[in-house]
Amino acid sequence: MRVLIVEDEVRLAENLAAALREGPGFAVDCAADGLSGDEMAGFRCYDLVVLDLMLPKMDGLTLLRRMRARRDTTPVLILTAKEGKAAIVELLNAGADDYLAKPFDLGELIARAKALIRRGKGAAHPTLKAYGLEVNTLEQSVHRNGVAVDLSPTEYRILEYLIHHPRRIFSKRELLEHLYDYNWEHHSNVIEAHVSNLRKKLEAAAPGAEPVIETMRGRGYRLSLEQSV
Amino acid sequence: MKSTTKSIAFQLIVAVLAVELVASLLVAALSLAYERHIHLSSFDDILRGRANSVLGAVQDADDVNDNVMLDLADLHVPGEDLYEVYDDGAGRLLGRSSNWPSEQSKGIVAATPAELAATANNTFSHLKIDHRHYGFILLHGSRIVDPAEPGGGKVHPITILYGAPSDRVWHAIDSAVEFYAAGSILLLAITGPLIAWLLHRGLSPLRQLAALASHITVNDWHFDPPASARTTPELAPLTQALENSLARLERSFTQQRTFVSDSAHELKTAVAVIKSSLQLLGLRQRSAAEWQAGLARCLADAERLEELVGKMLTLARVESGAAIHADSAAASDMAECIHRSIEELAPVAALRSVQVHAHIPPDVVPVSLTAEDCSLLVSNLLLNALQHSPPDSVVELRISQMPDTQPALVEFAVQDHGEGIAPEALPHIFDRFYRGDPSRARSTGGAGLGLAIVKAIVDHAGGSIHLASKPGEGTAATVLLPLAMHTLAPVAPDSVVAPA
Repeated sequence: MRVLIVEDEVRLAENLAAALREGPGFAVDCAADGLSGDEMAGFRCYDLVVLDLMLPKMDGLTLLRRMRARRDTTPVLILTAKEGKAAIVELLNAGADDYLAKPFDLGELIARAKALIRRGKGAAHPTLKAYGLEVNTLEQSVHRNGVAVDLSPTEYRILEYLIHHPRRIFSKRELLEHLYDYNWEHHSNVIEAHVSNLRKKLEAAAPGAEPVIETMRGRGYRLSLEQSV
Repeated sequence: MKSTTKSIAFQLIVAVLAVELVASLLVAALSLAYERHIHLSSFDDILRGRANSVLGAVQDADDVNDNVMLDLADLHVPGEDLYEVYDDGAGRLLGRSSNWPSEQSKGIVAATPAELAATANNTFSHLKIDHRHYGFILLHGSRIVDPAEPGGGKVHPITILYGAPSDRVWHAIDSAVEFYAAGSILLLAITGPLIAWLLHRGLSPLRQLAALASHITVNDWHFDPPASARTTPELAPLTQALENSLARLERSFTQQRTFVSDSAHELKTAVAVIKSSLQLLGLRQRSAAEWQAGLARCLADAERLEELVGKMLTLARVESGAAIHADSAAASDMAECIHRSIEELAPVAALRSVQVHAHIPPDVVPVSLTAEDCSLLVSNLLLNALQHSPPDSVVELRISQMPDTQPALVEFAVQDHGEGIAPEALPHIFDRFYRGDPSRARSTGGAGLGLAIVKAIVDHAGGSIHLASKPGEGTAATVLLPLAMHTLAPVAPDSVVAPA
């Protein structure tokens, strides 16, 4: 998962980015003002935007309205130091999905970020299941047919991203964009190796079963199982 | 009302009634004089007429001596009248009315016939006889006996003293005056309540205005004075003054509220940084080195919060407290302040490899600031210049005295050769928490309060500050401060003149 943090307070942005990277293992990009935030959100490669309201150059509310105006459905979590229900109602009505008042609890922020990403992908429960696979996004643990699978952080992130939409084909570029931050291009050669390792580990957990990750040559990867379980 | 002064309405009513009372007294006095004149002159005419008829009753006596006599047969005068007729030629009394007063009560009528004859014709006098008021006329006439005789007959000069009771006349005068007096008192009685009512009505715009003004609160500044209050010449200045002071108050309240809300935002953000730094540390197991680095970051964050709070308090102190020491008129040596600030900020200048060139006269430059405010002013401007200077550039400080201006001014200029300020940012540069380039300013530790503090100090010292900037070439800050009026060395607070 890749998150965009638009926050002008550099130290706060640093802490948020570190927390989201260390905790749920998201890829995080930071924008220090409204204009660059708007530009980066326009790449459409984020699964969540964490948006501060008082920003230089363009305020958070305008950024949010511009995102929604170009039919960007990315979940938006607002950070605000403003008081008052009216401001919150205005935010939610402008298309925000959730808000947190400063100073916030970092654990709560991570939980809300996860919930928003999950909801944005149509999942209601933090445990995702498909084809005998069970991904617990809270513990970041994976089981196949009841057997625990030990994955590296990158392998886990690939599987978590794929399992949100079984049978959908994800291009290599999309995986790269959503799993790595702005210098994802440096990782383009290793993603194949990560997918290959992930497939091996999943097969080892259920010997004899069909591989669950398909490689569609020239198109990308998808999670599927031809025969039903 | 418990106030010691009476209400304006009460004062007006009393004043009007007093004027009315004086006017009615005047009317009564005038009417007394007028009625007296009218009545008495007609009374005198009546007297003259009756005296003439008495004169007509003097007849030839048909005796040898050609005497005259008073023939009362055809004389018709009121019985209560008094008269006396003398023949002056013969010096004898021709006759008198039957009720002619006795000798004791006669008063002036007791004049001898010779005296009477000497008195001018038509002399009127008023007497009191037997407790009654009488008006008297002295009439000189003549009767010629046998005018057909040769020599023109014998002429008898006649003197008639005629009196009639004047009680009725005086009574008429009294009643007329009484009528006027009673009328005036009645008018007073009617106009008193009428004036009170009219005043009540006339003052209603004032009450409306007061009622409207009393509805103004800190939360509701709406004040829409009624048209009557705007158009009434007496109320218009009051209404205008109210509106103006309300507008000023609302502006300053809004400013304060913005400041509080901005401060809250800044403080919350600063707290959020510290809190998130601490929570980040606890997110997972960390090595001792990671803990130490994290703690160092937390400490740095806390120091930034401390600095922010310090600056906010400084700003609050400068803005509220300056009024106090404007009176006691502190003074400090600007030249010394500049030297001190350059020394303090030397590490910053060295870190950014910026040179500081100071052009300062060797003598003392007294300005009307406390030493603390003076240092704040200089160091904030210098720090700002240093932070916006590229490496290997020069920041110039300059002091020049302008003794010819009124009042005498000191010009303090700080010039940097940095990236300058964007023209659209210039108008906001003195706003609190304003940062020309936020991310950059934060990275250099600015809270956006430095220039606001400088502006507050300069404003309260009665000076002015001007920022001129060309993007790409640098910024020049020019401060004009009033020169302290006394020599600095032995500070004698009594001799200090407050700045304008």
